[in-house]
Amino acid sequence: MNSIIIGQYIPGNGFFYKLDPRTKIIAIFFLMISVFMLQTIVQLLIAIGIAVVILLIGRISLFKVVRGLKPIFILLVFTFIFQIALNTEGTVLSTATMHFNLYSIISAVLIFVLWRILLRFGKFKILLFLAFAFALYFNFRYITFQPDFYFFQLTIYEKGVEMSVFVVLRLLIIITLTTVLTLTTKPTDLTQGLERLMHPLKKIGFNSEDFALIISISLRYIPTIFDEAQKIMAAQASRGADFSEGKLKDKLKQIISLLVPMFIIAFMRSEELADAMESRNFVPGEKRTRINILRFSIIDIYTGLFTLACFAGTILVKVML
Amino acid sequence: MNMIDVQNVSFAYSEEKLTLNDVSFSIKKGEWIAILGHNGSGKSTLAKTLVGLLEPQSGEIHINSTRLTEETAFDLRKKVGIVFQNPDNQFVGVTVRDDIAFGMENLCVPREEMLSRIDFYAKKVGVEEYLDKQPSNLSGGQKQRVAIAGILAMRSDILIFDEATSMLDPYTRNDLIHYIKTLNKEGFTVIMITHDVNEAILADKIMIMKHGEIVAFDQTETILKDKSVFLENHLELPVALEIANLVEDEEIRRILWEYVSET
Repeated sequence: MNSIIIGQYIPGNGFFYKLDPRTKIIAIFFLMISVFMLQTIVQLLIAIGIAVVILLIGRISLFKVVRGLKPIFILLVFTFIFQIALNTEGTVLSTATMHFNLYSIISAVLIFVLWRILLRFGKFKILLFLAFAFALYFNFRYITFQPDFYFFQLTIYEKGVEMSVFVVLRLLIIITLTTVLTLTTKPTDLTQGLERLMHPLKKIGFNSEDFALIISISLRYIPTIFDEAQKIMAAQASRGADFSEGKLKDKLKQIISLLVPMFIIAFMRSEELADAMESRNFVPGEKRTRINILRFSIIDIYTGLFTLACFAGTILVKVML
Repeated sequence: MNMIDVQNVSFAYSEEKLTLNDVSFSIKKGEWIAILGHNGSGKSTLAKTLVGLLEPQSGEIHINSTRLTEETAFDLRKKVGIVFQNPDNQFVGVTVRDDIAFGMENLCVPREEMLSRIDFYAKKVGVEEYLDKQPSNLSGGQKQRVAIAGILAMRSDILIFDEATSMLDPYTRNDLIHYIKTLNKEGFTVIMITHDVNEAILADKIMIMKHGEIVAFDQTETILKDKSVFLENHLELPVALEIANLVEDEEIRRILWEYVSET
């Protein structure tokens, strides 16, 4: 395993690659606060416009950002559903009775099966999921053969729709911003940036340098340990272990049989590494010089000013309206 | 002038068994010593006590006439660099450059100085093309060379190789041994721990360890003259001696023995 990509970093040399990681972290922190201070959908739409401009400046393709959204897609859907279902403010937009009877449940199962089958062929998984959700809604609403086992009133309020759109948009912007950070910053640079930013915490006893060293060593050993896991799995497979099939219980057993040697080896490694570090005069918490240094340049000032403008603008909007 | 002076050093991991039992020897500047012995003979423990990673229960170690104690360990470690067996477990940095810099960072070497030393020593050990590479893109031999560059950059004059070649393939191993030889010729004091007899006979002096004790410590040619030392300690004979042993003719055997012990 030579090319394990840790995080989402994609090599490149656009605007954001040249920015100091500290600037990026601070800027994104303040932009996120700004997003949380916005109160109306119109304001959020303007913020989305700004986010798109940021992506354009960084020449980051929307496709990559969308891919970054995938892991939290389910979260977005649930947020949306909960906001619609539970918010009871404002005027009533629509009200409908959801029927759970023999026929509607059977057809719901059929819809589910159809969805799972289509999922195997289709590329548009997100669209399929949305179609599935709508199909279920209409299914329970309009298949009204009696008797119902259970039914309830689903009432959608104006405020509920507004809030659900609002919350989802807000999450979208925040995730887009953090994706810009993770796409364009090497994990090592990110650690170093965090280290420098957390440096003042030394006064309360938090040593950011040791923390950064721990993170960078973990990052450095991920491929090595991954390699090891593959070797152990190969060794176990050669003696008849089967990692792909079997019941959940068997799989759990196999994972344990993998974890035990992994832990033992990891401990042995860490002991040797500690010796190697100590023999090269490493003393935890002592002053060290650094080979990698961070330098602010003119573009960091531009970014800082831009962030400041956004932040001040948001505060102004909040105070004025 | 002795570079390293070890007097009556004993060390035990547990109370039942001494891993090092009253070991004494000295090494002069610029010598190349091979320490031979089986697993558990105490050779790696000896190496760790020499760099102050382990503190002996009794006895004294002097490096450059300074006694090695907890207080002096930091300063003395600058002089003694150690390369361990597993190339992966001593690679601290994320890239080759970071790894060579690691020791210097700990010594608070200014950044400009670090950069120039990294260039110099990376070129010296032949890894200058890989400075921005990650360890997973390097071979075992290259990683060991990076480790050497890392300790050379700290300006150590004593280099300890703790079975540093044992995880390498034969070709890379030869390559590294010859590089160690070059370093020794440049004036570095080299201590090479190994269980490979054929590797050991390249050194100036051979020390044979068994059960935590030194059973023989002499010039390589002297050690080679007496093959019983190898046989008694269950070590294989050097290939050259093995061949000499097979020859039946008295006269030819004598000539071969002489040839072997001279070269």
